[in-house]
Amino acid sequence: MYRYFLAIRYVLSRRVNLLGMIGVSLGVWALIVVVAIFSGYLTEVKKRLIGATSDIGATLIPEDTAYVDLAVEIEADPNVAACSPRIVWYGVSYSPDAEPARGNGQLNTNGIPGASDDFIALLGVDPTIEKNVTAMTEWIENVDDPDLRVADASRPLAELDGEPTLVLSTARAKAHGLSRGDRVHVSSGVMHEGRAGEALELVEGWFRVGGCFDSEFAVFDGFHVYAHIDAMRALLGAKSSNKSETWVNEIAIRVKDARETVKTSQRIRRRLNRDLPPFRNPIRVRTAEQANSQEILSIDHQRSLMQLVLYVIMIVAAFLVFATLSMMVTEKTHDIGILTALGATPRGVTFVFLACGLTISITGAVLGVLTGCVSAIYTDAFNTLMKDWFDVDLFPTAIYNLTHVPCELDPVWIATVAGSAIGLGLVVSGIPAWRAGRHDPLESLRNE
Amino acid sequence: MTDPILSAEGVTKTYRVGKREIPVLRGVDFEMQPGEMVALLGASGAGKSTLLHVLGLLDPPTEGRVRFEDQSVSDLPGPKRAKLRHREIGFVFQFYHLIPELTALQNVKLGTMMDQGPLAWLGERKQHDQDARALLDRVGLTERLTHRPDELSGGERQRVAIARALVANPRVILADEPTGNLDSSTSESVLELLFEINRESNIAFLLVTHDEGLAARCDRIVRLRDGVIDA
Ligand SMILES: Nc1ncnc2c1ncn2[C@@H]1O[C@H](COP(=O)(O)OP(=O)(O)OP(=O)(O)O)[C@@H](O)[C@H]1O
Ligand SMILES: [Mg+2]
Repeated sequence: MYRYFLAIRYVLSRRVNLLGMIGVSLGVWALIVVVAIFSGYLTEVKKRLIGATSDIGATLIPEDTAYVDLAVEIEADPNVAACSPRIVWYGVSYSPDAEPARGNGQLNTNGIPGASDDFIALLGVDPTIEKNVTAMTEWIENVDDPDLRVADASRPLAELDGEPTLVLSTARAKAHGLSRGDRVHVSSGVMHEGRAGEALELVEGWFRVGGCFDSEFAVFDGFHVYAHIDAMRALLGAKSSNKSETWVNEIAIRVKDARETVKTSQRIRRRLNRDLPPFRNPIRVRTAEQANSQEILSIDHQRSLMQLVLYVIMIVAAFLVFATLSMMVTEKTHDIGILTALGATPRGVTFVFLACGLTISITGAVLGVLTGCVSAIYTDAFNTLMKDWFDVDLFPTAIYNLTHVPCELDPVWIATVAGSAIGLGLVVSGIPAWRAGRHDPLESLRNE
Repeated sequence: MTDPILSAEGVTKTYRVGKREIPVLRGVDFEMQPGEMVALLGASGAGKSTLLHVLGLLDPPTEGRVRFEDQSVSDLPGPKRAKLRHREIGFVFQFYHLIPELTALQNVKLGTMMDQGPLAWLGERKQHDQDARALLDRVGLTERLTHRPDELSGGERQRVAIARALVANPRVILADEPTGNLDSSTSESVLELLFEINRESNIAFLLVTHDEGLAARCDRIVRLRDGVIDA
């Protein structure tokens, strides 16, 4: 009993120990909160990436292949719910009707990358099929502004005044001062197999703004612009070359069981490339996570880096505990003599100081876990409160185009953090405690 | 004559400082009867404290052995010696050796915590509390229970130390110049307390002192000279 009693008394009677305790809880707190926000953000990003790009995408499709033939092969897979043809092309847009100063358009783009550039990624889709595979229809219905809504949500890419239409993000529309009906000129280039080898042919065409969409995913909203797949074929000159009538350069695939996505994509890849003629590049089939692995990896990497940095706080706290305990043992060698005379063993004396370290680190870890979980859960509420009351934006959600501060508490991570705090406490109290146990008790009992 | 409670048989103790050997005890034979009050006299540096530590199982003898009742105890393993020390032997030192963070009551209660786990101790905590309070009452510190050592006078501190030595119901108390640090009137009252306890109980006392007058009041005097007991 004396071991626990003395450990608690020793810890409580020294203010420095409070510092060590606070240090440990600070480390634990930071590791829990920051990692929770990063994990939440990562999940959010993954969700949106997959929402924007479909579960699986097939690319590098040869131009002379007809979509229907590929669709039959893909839909034969038991886990495929639907697939949709796409022509993805890059171009430059310019509009004579643009009113750049309109309203507070610039502010509304709020840092969404690419929204104010002239560079665009054109997504040629067939809206009647695309809605089975991605959330395009819902994103179009997200728009409330009467000047930006499409005229007929059931036919979002229908022609307007005899011209093909584009559906762009509200962020882009506001950045460029565009509204429904405005004319947009799109120019791009196509490589042609001519007599003199490959040559770049410039293509251009007029479109009208048919309406807007809002995917809430910044990277996607920034420069993606929808057009009808037939309009894209017309723009890129499908009929003038060896392209198939129904050529596509990408197929978006939705799966039934999301857990089987990777396996499904492998099956589809094998199936599509089954009769691959020599010297032809295979069709590439990737899951959304694979296609966006750079983005996901970079956030994941930032999270690991952050963990590393935050562990430093904990290590500093551990050193603090080590220093105070070492001091305490030196100071308490006095008590070791009398404890031995009262019947303590060297092992018991060691344990007293080990228990001191453990008391500090366990209390610190428990406090850190509690405050960490509470503040992670209430980060969003706290952020809103600060914004409303003091006009301070601690976590500017708009930059990341989020509606709330994301947060995801992982019990395994919490246990790891708490465990390592306690383990570290044990390690740093070990040396002073061992020293205390080896101290000759008679030294302090002989004269002063 | 009854059987001795604590005895030394041919105990030698040699300290080694670098290559030099310093013989302090050169063959001490000594016995204590239950309830006896023995004064241990000797010049400074004669080895009185050393003998006390050997008898109290804090320091193993170089040769010879220490017996408790009829059991040879100086060669027992460490934890067994610690247990015996806790149960049967109480110490009082010249410099009190109270734990500065603890109150008088807590210092005394510490003496009950040494061989019980937390659950067992907490189960009996009322009894322990009563025992500690009764002892502090006995040594005249009813009013000082919650004082820390630095809030107590020298005499009061020594009384707390005496209560702590008694709390585990030992059968032997080894006191190393218990009044060596006190003025004469305080010394007298502390000594009076020790004599009273000795009379009331069956506890044997070994009292290290330089004071011939005090020694004369004890049941028996032993003198340590040149590392042996001088009859
Ligand atoms: N650890 C040690 N190493 C070397 N010599 C020691 C050690 N401990 C004690 N001594 C020596 O042993 C001798 C006896 O010491 P001890 O403390 O037992 O004497 P004492 O009779 O209690 O003296 P005092 O009356 O001054 O308290 C002294 O000469 C001391 O220097
Ligand atoms: Mg001495």
